[in-house]
Amino acid sequence: MIIATYVKHVPDAEARLAADGGRIAVDDHAYALDGMDEYGVEAAVRLKEAGLADEVVALAIGPARSEAALRTALALGADRAVLLETDDDLDPLAQAGPLAEATRACGAELLLVGGKQADWDSAALGPAVAEALGWPVCDWTTELRLEGREVAAVHDVDDGSEAWSASLPVVVTTQQGLNEPRYPTLPNIMKAKRKPLERRPLTATARVVTLAAALPSRARRGVRLEGDAATVASELARRLRDEAKVL
Amino acid sequence: MILIAIDHAHGAPRRGAFELVSAARGLGSDVAAVVLGGPEAAPVAAALAAFVPSVVHVDDAALDHPSHERRTTALASVAGELGAEVVLLVAGRGGQAVAPRLALRLGGTLLEDVAAVRRDGTAVVAERLAYLSRASLTVRATAAPVVVSVKPGAYPAAAPADAPGSVASRSVAFTAADDAARPGERRSVARGRVALEEADVVVCGGRGLGDAASFERLVVGLADELGAGVASTRAVVDAGWRPYDEQVGQTGKSVAPKLYFALGVSGAVQHLSGMNRSGTVVAVNKDGDAPIFKASDYGIVGDVREVLPALRAALAGLD
Amino acid sequence: MDFALPDDLLALQRAVRDFAQREIAPVAVELDREPRFPRATLRKMGEMGLLGILTPEAYGGLGLGYLAYAVLLEEIAAADAAHATIASVTNGMPQSLILTHGSAAQRDRWLPRLAAGDAIGAFCLSEPHAGSDAAALRTRARRVDGGYRLDGSKAWITSGGEADLYLVLAKTDPEAGARGITAFVLERDTPGLSFGAPERKLGQHAAITTSVRFDDAFVPEDQRLGEEGQGFVMAMSALDGGRVGIAAQALGIARAAFAAAARHAEEREAFGRPIREFQGVGFKLADMATRIEAARLLTHRAAWLLDRGTQATKEVSMAKLAASEAAVFVCDAAVQVFGGYGYSADYPVERYLRDARVTTLYEGTSEIQRVVIARQIHRETAR
Repeated sequence: MIIATYVKHVPDAEARLAADGGRIAVDDHAYALDGMDEYGVEAAVRLKEAGLADEVVALAIGPARSEAALRTALALGADRAVLLETDDDLDPLAQAGPLAEATRACGAELLLVGGKQADWDSAALGPAVAEALGWPVCDWTTELRLEGREVAAVHDVDDGSEAWSASLPVVVTTQQGLNEPRYPTLPNIMKAKRKPLERRPLTATARVVTLAAALPSRARRGVRLEGDAATVASELARRLRDEAKVL
Repeated sequence: MILIAIDHAHGAPRRGAFELVSAARGLGSDVAAVVLGGPEAAPVAAALAAFVPSVVHVDDAALDHPSHERRTTALASVAGELGAEVVLLVAGRGGQAVAPRLALRLGGTLLEDVAAVRRDGTAVVAERLAYLSRASLTVRATAAPVVVSVKPGAYPAAAPADAPGSVASRSVAFTAADDAARPGERRSVARGRVALEEADVVVCGGRGLGDAASFERLVVGLADELGAGVASTRAVVDAGWRPYDEQVGQTGKSVAPKLYFALGVSGAVQHLSGMNRSGTVVAVNKDGDAPIFKASDYGIVGDVREVLPALRAALAGLD
Repeated sequence: MDFALPDDLLALQRAVRDFAQREIAPVAVELDREPRFPRATLRKMGEMGLLGILTPEAYGGLGLGYLAYAVLLEEIAAADAAHATIASVTNGMPQSLILTHGSAAQRDRWLPRLAAGDAIGAFCLSEPHAGSDAAALRTRARRVDGGYRLDGSKAWITSGGEADLYLVLAKTDPEAGARGITAFVLERDTPGLSFGAPERKLGQHAAITTSVRFDDAFVPEDQRLGEEGQGFVMAMSALDGGRVGIAAQALGIARAAFAAAARHAEEREAFGRPIREFQGVGFKLADMATRIEAARLLTHRAAWLLDRGTQATKEVSMAKLAASEAAVFVCDAAVQVFGGYGYSADYPVERYLRDARVTTLYEGTSEIQRVVIARQIHRETAR
């Protein structure tokens, strides 16, 4: 059984952003493998280590720099990587078709995708690629077991959690709690340079156009209350009632 | 026409349903609601009829707690039949899983997790946040129909319409692919407390609480007194003090209450992305340089374990 | 001329930064207050590959050069200086001397354990009466049947009592001065090897430092490194690498202190504006950043020269001098930027200052570095 695991190269949380015309500009060095995708890579590698999968293929869509995210996935234990290279800002629906095609092309029957992407703040790719493949999707997964061709999972729903099962092939979106991703060790980062990474040009049309981008900062009162605990507490209570009018 | 997909629980629409009514009215007057589920959903459909001209109830017990695939098929069938130009869903977990599938199935476009949606001529334009909620984007859909998931709390709940609408019942045919996934047992975590996304007041505790017992005593104690939702930071969840479903931030929930207490929370950007739409923010933290103070209306530098008991006393003492 | 670090090294730097900030930084305060040898984090550092950076891959190390060593050690020090000290010692003399002077059997025996972090190494040169004046050593190694017996004591030994392997310099020929010094490798459980109580120090509390005693401690012949009398030359030849490590460590501490100060100057307001807008604070931050940048350029260039196999004693000493003095300056300035808070243990900068202070002392004081630099200048200018 082959597992495909999607990885995205996204700005890290500390990256400095700038609104540049109609788009958000980010320093090239501030990108890293999306933390949400790390859970998927870890899950795939553990399934392979447990003898339940034969190969782990990391897939990415994005500009050339995305190779760094794929190299991280290779350092974490993926066997090979494929980059669908494009400089266009593709929304998740526009990515779904090419990703589905790449998943089929490598023969994968389990596709893992991070639950939410840190650049678009989007949770759409997993469900969208599942639709493109015609496979069921288990979203926001916190437990994942594979027995033969049967997938047994637990995932978050709106007001709690739900058991979920299906036969392969399936798409699973991953999140915190699924596992504790390992670090890429330095020897493995160095070995990852020698693992195969294939680049294919991607032409696709975005379905969503960004008209404007801004970095809003919500104006906060920024009041510091000082003094002993009783004084600041009663001052705060009074202000919440009389000034902010929220009590 | 504008179609809104109604979430419901215990025989009543969820609050988000009435927010969708508000969003839909801003897009056009021809609004229909679709309610999925067996007999338990009938009163939901009846309740919605007071708000929109037309309600479709897909009356099928196979749609009680349906898989995303069944729900997609049911919504696609109704949207196709009614010729919906726009379909609105609440961007909760379920809505965010169904909306992309539905948009692809309909051959349309997805505008995801939007804070506002409007018409610009014939186009549909929306405002949404990105980059861990640090940036705001204005986005336009390039193809119809447009499926829009609307952030909970982004719109006020609508008032009933002047004239009641009609309710029609119908059925949907499922395929084998719709039954590939088998949802199983559900565990609710509501525990009688107000759902985090729907709470007017949220009390969030961080690692500054010191341990699980202090969290329970101080944070949960304050939340109980205020009738508030309880939230946690990732550090607290990682430490095993609290369950995942209380986590607010990038990997957890996104909330926008009128009042948000950040207690012993440092304010990492991942956390801020889940709470920075809140109305008034109060922060208590020992570290005066903690980033949370930049995101706060009222800040108190001090040990949360000393400040909180005093604050509870002060709040209780207000007239 | 290209000042950019290679992409491969940037990837390693990023991985170590994430690792150090997530695994090491959170324990730094606790280890400062309740000092203990950080075995759990050292084990993780070993798994990462951080305890055998220079040792070839054939022995389980990373086989990287000094530029990479400096870049990675800076990341560790930015999270916690004590971890960087322990790492620089075990990465340094024990492994480099065993690699360059050990027999094939000795390399196979010790290097894989050290490079993987399964064994932590210590280096025993300084004595109560001999610091940088290594030729004045008093620890004796007497030849006996099948090996040597060691008597004497060593001082200020990083990881004393905690390390598994001790590289010891002792006199086999007291008459021969520096040429009478020989290197030995001792296991911790060697009979006659004992350790003093951990020294109480200004900073870097978790980098446990003790005295080491040898009372008729028997060392088999096959644990002698190289030939008799080669020990001093051996140790001197590896000094440059060690000093680059201390320079990198000083940079890491300085960087952490600067980051804390810059953030505080942004957050803290006085008279209605952030204090960084006051020139007194802004100029201080400018000087701090400039000193760090200058020291980093010197350090990276010295490491780069070592990687090219160039004689770089002067440049290494310049880097060590500049970086350690910059660290003390920057940490002291950071305390000043914090005002009264800077003096409080609730804020990190007083710890940075205490941790940084030793960087101008060990691996040769600033005065020793100046002696070295002056001597090299003299050699270059003398006819």
